[in-house]
Amino acid sequence: MRLNRLDLTRYGRFSDAQIVLPIPEDDTADVTVIYGLNEAGKSTAFTAYLELLFGMKTRDHPYEFRFKRSDLLVGAELDMPNRGRVVLQRNSKKTQSLLDDQGRPVEDTYLTAALQGLGRDDYVERFLLNGEGLRKGGARIAGAQGDLGQLLHAGVSGLTGMASTLDQMAARADRFHKKGGRGTDLKRAKDRLTEIGQELRATRLTPERERGLAAACDKATATFDAADCELGDARLREAASSAAQLWYDRSEDIRVIDADLLKLPDGPDLRKGSTEAIARLVATITEKTLRVSEADENITALAKDIADHPADDAAEAMAAELAQLDQLTIDGAPLMARAATAVSDLGKRIADRNTLREQIDQTLAGLSVADVPAASLVVGPEKLEDLAQAAQAVLTAQNAVETITEGVALAKEQRGEAPPEPQDLSHLQAAWDTWQTVADVTAQQNTVTTETARLATAVVVLPKVWAELVDAGLPARETLIDVARTMPSVAADLASAQTEHKKCDSAYRLAQSKRQADEAAPSAIDLATTAQARRLRDEKWVTHRGAMSAKTADEFEAAMHGDDDAHASFADGSEARVQLATAWRDEKAALVLRDKSQERFDRVTQHHSELATQSSALAKALGLAPDTSPAAFTDRYTALVQAAQTAAHLENVKAEFVVLSDHRSAADADLKTAAKLAGIEGADSDLASRVRAALTLQDSVRQTWAQWSRAKDAITDLEGKAAQAGSDKDTADHTFAAFIAALPLAGRTAQDLIAALPHLRNLHRLHSDHEKLVLRIEALEDAVALLSASAARITAMGGDVNDPEADPLAVIEKVRIRVARAASTTTRREEAQRRHTAETTARKAATDAVDVAQAELSDWFKDQGAEDLAATARVALLAKRDALRAARNAHDIARKAARGGAKAALFDEELALLPNTSRAAEVQQLMVDAQATRDLTFEMHHEAKRLYQEAFDAADRSELATEQATIREELRTGARQAAVLRLGVLAAKGALRRLASERRTTMLRDVEEAFVAITAPAWSSVDVWSQTEGEKLVGIQPDGTAVPVEMMSTGTMGQLYFALRIAGYRSFARDFGPLPMILDDIMETFDDERAKAALQLCSDIGRSGQAIIFTHHAHLVDLARDTIEGVNIVEMLR
Amino acid sequence: MRLIVSADTHLDSPIRSVALRNPALGDRLKQASRDTFRGIVDLAISESVVALVLAGDIFDNDFPDLKSRAFLVTQLARAASAGVPTVLIRGNHDALLDHNAHGALGPDIHLLHKGNPSVEIAGVAFHGLSFDSSHIADSLLPDYPAPIAGLTNVGLMHTSLGGSAGHDPYAPCAEQDLLAHGFDLWCLGHIHTPFERTSGPVLAVMPGIPQPRHFGERFGGCVAIVTLGDGPPVLERRSVGHLRFVEAELDLTDCADQSEVLQVIDNALKGAQDPVRDTAVRLRVLTARHTTDDLHALANELLESIDRVFIDKVKSFAPDKPTDDNADDLVRLMREELQEAGFQQANAQMLEELRIALPADIRDALSEDALDELLEDAIAEVSLSLHGMDAQ
Repeated sequence: MRLNRLDLTRYGRFSDAQIVLPIPEDDTADVTVIYGLNEAGKSTAFTAYLELLFGMKTRDHPYEFRFKRSDLLVGAELDMPNRGRVVLQRNSKKTQSLLDDQGRPVEDTYLTAALQGLGRDDYVERFLLNGEGLRKGGARIAGAQGDLGQLLHAGVSGLTGMASTLDQMAARADRFHKKGGRGTDLKRAKDRLTEIGQELRATRLTPERERGLAAACDKATATFDAADCELGDARLREAASSAAQLWYDRSEDIRVIDADLLKLPDGPDLRKGSTEAIARLVATITEKTLRVSEADENITALAKDIADHPADDAAEAMAAELAQLDQLTIDGAPLMARAATAVSDLGKRIADRNTLREQIDQTLAGLSVADVPAASLVVGPEKLEDLAQAAQAVLTAQNAVETITEGVALAKEQRGEAPPEPQDLSHLQAAWDTWQTVADVTAQQNTVTTETARLATAVVVLPKVWAELVDAGLPARETLIDVARTMPSVAADLASAQTEHKKCDSAYRLAQSKRQADEAAPSAIDLATTAQARRLRDEKWVTHRGAMSAKTADEFEAAMHGDDDAHASFADGSEARVQLATAWRDEKAALVLRDKSQERFDRVTQHHSELATQSSALAKALGLAPDTSPAAFTDRYTALVQAAQTAAHLENVKAEFVVLSDHRSAADADLKTAAKLAGIEGADSDLASRVRAALTLQDSVRQTWAQWSRAKDAITDLEGKAAQAGSDKDTADHTFAAFIAALPLAGRTAQDLIAALPHLRNLHRLHSDHEKLVLRIEALEDAVALLSASAARITAMGGDVNDPEADPLAVIEKVRIRVARAASTTTRREEAQRRHTAETTARKAATDAVDVAQAELSDWFKDQGAEDLAATARVALLAKRDALRAARNAHDIARKAARGGAKAALFDEELALLPNTSRAAEVQQLMVDAQATRDLTFEMHHEAKRLYQEAFDAADRSELATEQATIREELRTGARQAAVLRLGVLAAKGALRRLASERRTTMLRDVEEAFVAITAPAWSSVDVWSQTEGEKLVGIQPDGTAVPVEMMSTGTMGQLYFALRIAGYRSFARDFGPLPMILDDIMETFDDERAKAALQLCSDIGRSGQAIIFTHHAHLVDLARDTIEGVNIVEMLR
Repeated sequence: MRLIVSADTHLDSPIRSVALRNPALGDRLKQASRDTFRGIVDLAISESVVALVLAGDIFDNDFPDLKSRAFLVTQLARAASAGVPTVLIRGNHDALLDHNAHGALGPDIHLLHKGNPSVEIAGVAFHGLSFDSSHIADSLLPDYPAPIAGLTNVGLMHTSLGGSAGHDPYAPCAEQDLLAHGFDLWCLGHIHTPFERTSGPVLAVMPGIPQPRHFGERFGGCVAIVTLGDGPPVLERRSVGHLRFVEAELDLTDCADQSEVLQVIDNALKGAQDPVRDTAVRLRVLTARHTTDDLHALANELLESIDRVFIDKVKSFAPDKPTDDNADDLVRLMREELQEAGFQQANAQMLEELRIALPADIRDALSEDALDELLEDAIAEVSLSLHGMDAQ
């Protein structure tokens, strides 16, 4: 598939914009560079392309700021396999969003087939490469450890996280289960299941366990019963012992009491309560005797009081008359209260009534109707208010008519004559507005000057050839940082390696000297020498045993001594030999260390040398002295980049200045044409001022015309209002006339009525007050008359002569005092009489009580001795006697009861043992022991019952069963997931091996070609090493050194990843046909040489399919022109 | 005249779901089977039914635990004292109902077996035979009594009928033979998914498990109330389970960002809410970018503000490609790899090692039957993880 044109119909800030990607001529690569500064719309165009292919985002669209989402529309012309050239469009609908050139819906399968079924994400992963993706991809493929399958897959799919993915999947599976693993989820879960199983089994109530618990329960019950029985026996023994002791003690007490009773008077026991009764009788006799004396005194005093207070016979009838008088009312109020007020207020009320009558007459005179009855002019407040409103409405309407009529006349006078109508100068205004926007080019000119100065400042610290350096291409910033960071550590490594090597060499030489010294020592005789001496001795012995001569004897003796010496020396030299062996080992170890340090020293020296060479080359590329420290590289790089950017910006500013000047010329021509059409002629030099004057004059004419038109409209409006006011006045007049006709005020105008309104309101108030006062005076006069009649009647009752002139209230008050005094006297006399009677009765009762008490006292002491004692002393002595008798009886009863409550045999046994001071303690101990045994067996019995019950009730461990089920479910899920992960890792690794096998021939060639092209001359080829764990990709340097991928620098890995992606693209294009490949500013950090190489690779993509390069670097555009024949350049403007 | 019919109560069998890791749910459901059984007895009393019918597998354990029996006796005695007798038979899990070993259950609790196959209650003749061993290979129907004329005849049988997926064949019996035996109603047990069969006026009802214990039993959760009268029996089902299992299918392929993903999951979880019972949701998610673990974490985050809903399991699926996946080399090559003898051998070895490491009772999770699904999931897992990794 090829993209021929992208239509940004309504999308982002674009409206009906197109990006055309012409089809290249034969034998030229299909490469389009889309160049635009930041914010020019490159990202918008790229997103539009993706949304055309895969549909638009359905909500919160980022490019809906100019057009609503529902209006967004993108399109493209595509060359599609098997379909040829087609135009498609895409809108933002959820369904049927893909349209043909006529706007008719097209199935999405139309595109998906051409895209080989790739989804949006797949497409982006495979066919988009940007700077960040290149860097991240480079870093991530390091994780592949050179695995060929993973690397080729990364190239094909664009997915670089395979190594991490597989590691993480394996780790997740291992977390669940790992052979021999102790901390795995599975192990922990199984341990927990085991614990739970044990706990559940322990609490399970099996029939056997139930039988065991029941048997234990029965046994505990039997044991408890036996102990309980023993306790019962002990209690009987204790009871018998206690009873015997009590029998013994009470018998002793009875003997003492019998002796005491012989000394006290004889006679029967006092009756129950005799002590209290006798005491009470003595107290009664005393009290009643005193009461008789007191009564005699009281009776004498009360008889005198009765005689001193005689009765008033007329007072009762007078009191009844007064009560009747108090009940009388007049007008709902008590007569007495009303009469009291009447007497004092009557005169004042009559005077007030007369005053009101005079005021009413004056008011009628004020209204000029003195002969009219006041009542005919009394009007209520509400009706009076209606009358006032009707009069006011007449006056208001009259006023409105007059005001509006005057307003119309004044407006007509102010409007004056009609001015001339304004002319249409809109064309001239538009041309003038446009001219003004481009009239001033000074600001842009100043910008050019400012940027020129900035460039001069930026290059002042740079060599004169800075521009050539930039044009030649700057090294990658990452490379500079890498070298700057690496150089000090490599130098330190070199110094360290040198020091270490010297140290190891000295150590080796020292060890060598020591070994040589130990070797030369005579005591270092070895085992071979000893064996040789023994062998010589044995030979001499064989010879001597055969010859048995003196010579052979001497020789044997000498050999024997030699052998002895050798053995002695060997024994003596064992320590020296150990020392020698140690010296050999030390020497060898020192040699190994020296060789290693030598190797490290050589390696680091080589690395340092290479780095120094690289540093010199970088310094040269940056225009610095070859021996410049790499630490200064980044600053110089930054200065160069800034200078280049400032220069580029200056060029842009200059170009914009030219464009602005062109616009100014066009605006001049347009203004001149418009002025001519408006009739403005004259020289060009003052055209602007004449146009400005004409437009100003035209504004003034337009304002005058508008003002006159507004005045005309206002007069028309006022005339309408005047007609309405006339109509309103007629209505008010009619209403007022209807009101005035109901009153004796004929002929009065609205103005007159408003003047009379206060008099009418006053007349209403005065008339109302006068009527109320007349009624009150009548009521007061009635009350005074009634009271006088009552006073005359009550005076007659008391036997006095009535005085008609006397104040009836005073007469009645005097009678009231007499009646009250008579009542008080009667009350006191009656109370004295009642108390006199009561005292007489009380005296007789007291005398009778004394007689009865004396008789009862004699009865209580009947047949008792000690008659000479006073009653209280006598009864105390007899009570003491009776108490002794009762105590004796109680002791007897108690001892008999004790004996009866105990077992007879046991009682006799225990009584026989008394007196015995320790017997009670012995019996108590027996009891305590039995109780303890019983308590213990009771607890055992209770516990056995509890266990039995708990087995049913409390042993439910459902939380454990729930946890057990949960763990099993988690294990089921976890096992399944672990199996999925393991199978996934297995399948993926197998798939990657297959991928390597399938693609190694074609892709490796492509990878090598691309990698060498972009990294030359640092790398000469790539190779594949077969290792146990699989095939590994390595890079080959020109000297034949093979470098595993994971040992490559970050920059090199990024370049390798680029080469893999290019190979992947070629592979896809071979298998399924080409799709457009998007390269988004991937060469931002490349120096020119590498950028050229990268562009050449893009050219290769363009030969397999279509390459679209987005960039905002102008120099890359130039490089592309130089590098790729027939490259198409599209510039996007902001 | 009404009966409550239940079976397969599996007393003291716990619920099996990862959702129980939630402490609140775990606490509420640790006695789920007992609570549900109490609810059935409550329902029988409140509905004043003629009898409570239990068609076997009242217990769950293969080992006898008298606590479970004590619970059953307590509950049925409660029903009896309220005037609701119980008629029941033994299923293949009901050793605790062995009357020879453990004695009778109590007044008005009628265990039907070979020696006592029938009982009459309020004009209804109940007939049933109990399992005498844990497995019966032959049909019990020929041994059932003939219907009693003049009475309504109700049969109780614990049977796998003609066979059911997930259930071993126990006392197999052809449906047409059962319905033609002459009884008016058959109360069945053993199969945990409820269903009913009719033939003319005869009804056979499988009430299903009243409290589902795992996702596979999600169609249970109810008892049957059967009304007997002049016409054919009338069936009504009532929910009694305290927790239900549901499945929710989600499609995240159109989601543009994380907030849309969360919205879709939130909608699904809230849609699963039930006003009166807890719900364990199994999410089946169509996505090209999210692994199971990612989705689980997102769902759990949302559940903090949704009551009575819990996650049973989450499973993610990669969407099908619109055309064949030839362009996806990795997937294609993995599929080819699956066919390799070497891979299959390594795969079998790995699975066997894992299977052996598991407790015996859950080794079926990695059975041969599950292999194809495991392999498909493995391919999807690699693909999802790889795309997810590169998206970071």
